[in-house]
Amino acid sequence: MEDGRQSVTRVTLGALFIAFLKVSLLGFGGGLVWARRITVEQGRWISEEEFADILSLCQFMPGPNVVGIAVCAGAMLRGLIGAIAAASGFLLIPWTVGFSLGVMVLHYAHLVVLQNILRGVSSVAAGLLIATGIRMLMPHRHHLQAIVVAALAVGGIGFAKLPLLVVLFSLAPVSIAVAAFTNAKAQ
Amino acid sequence: MNGHSIIIALTARLALLSSISFGAFPTVLPDVRTFVVTTHGWMTNQDFADFFALAQAIPGPNMILMMSFVGWKVWGIPGAIASALATFGPPCVMYFTAYRLWDRLRAASWQRILRAGLVPVTVGLVIASGTVMARAADVGWQAVAVTLAASVLMLLTRLNPLLMLVAGGVLGGLGLL
Repeated sequence: MEDGRQSVTRVTLGALFIAFLKVSLLGFGGGLVWARRITVEQGRWISEEEFADILSLCQFMPGPNVVGIAVCAGAMLRGLIGAIAAASGFLLIPWTVGFSLGVMVLHYAHLVVLQNILRGVSSVAAGLLIATGIRMLMPHRHHLQAIVVAALAVGGIGFAKLPLLVVLFSLAPVSIAVAAFTNAKAQ
Repeated sequence: MNGHSIIIALTARLALLSSISFGAFPTVLPDVRTFVVTTHGWMTNQDFADFFALAQAIPGPNMILMMSFVGWKVWGIPGAIASALATFGPPCVMYFTAYRLWDRLRAASWQRILRAGLVPVTVGLVIASGTVMARAADVGWQAVAVTLAASVLMLLTRLNPLLMLVAGGVLGGLGLL
C-alpha cells in the first residue's frame, strides 16, 4: 500500500490513536486545523500534497469529514488496522467524556457567560480555519487557475451563500476540465 | 411504538442519513429534526436546539455527540450508543473503501488530473467554511478583529493555536466580544 508514497515514516498504532485523540479533543469547531497541524506539520507523517488529497476525497463523501481524515490517514499509514486505530482515537475517549459531560451540563445550556465564552472561542476557531486553508493553498500559489477556483469556492459559499453541494458539484467538473486541458497542453 | 421498534426506527433513520450526508452531517440536520420532533414527537424543538448548542460547546466529534444526545433522550444509554454507531459507522466504511480504491489507482494518469482539479476546490471550501463560521460567531467588529488576528498569528507565528482559543474564550467570557 505504501508504493508511490513520498513519506515513509513508520507510524505506530498508538501514535495514530493519540494523534487523532488530540485532533478530536482540540478540535473546537472542526478538527481540520489540528489534523493538518499534527499529521503534516508536526509529525511529518503525511505530505502537504497527500493531506490535500485525503481532504478532497473526504469532501466528496458523506459523513463527518474529520472522521474521514482519520480513517484515510490511518489507512494510508498502516492499512485497515491503522484506520481503526485512528478512528478509535478520534471517537472512543472523546465520545465517552463528551457524552457524560453533556448529560451533566444540559441544565446549564442557557447560561449567558457560557455562550459568550463559546462565541469567543468560535471567533478564534474561524480565524484558524481560514489560515489553515490559506496554508494549504500556498503550494499552489503559482498556478493561476488553482487560485481562481479556490477564490470562486470562497466567494460562492462565504459570500454568495450558495449551498455547499451546488458549489462542489458545479466547480469541481470545471476545475477538473481545466486541469485536463492544462495537462494535455503540457504533453 | 414500543421501546425496541423506536430505537430500531431511529437507528435506521440515522444510518440512512449519515450515508447521504454529503457535505458533512449538518446538511441533514433539518431532516433529523423533522423525524424526531415533528413526526414522532420524541422531544421538543427546544431539546433539539439545546443538544445542538451543547454538542458545539464540547470539543470532540460534535455531530456524533449531538446524535447521541438525541438517542439518549429517546432511549437512554443504549439509544445513545446505537445513535452514535449509526452516525459514524456507515461513513467510516465508505471512507475506507473509497480510500483503498483511490490508492489502488494512484498511478493512473487520470487521477493526477482529477487531483489537480479537485485540490483547489477543496482548499477554497476550507477557507469558505472559516468565513461562514466567522459570520455566525462574529457579531461586532471586536470579534471580527479577533478572527483576523487568529488568522494572521497562525500564518506568521508558531504560537500554539490552543493558546489563541483560550484567549478567545477569555475575551468572550469577559463580555468583550
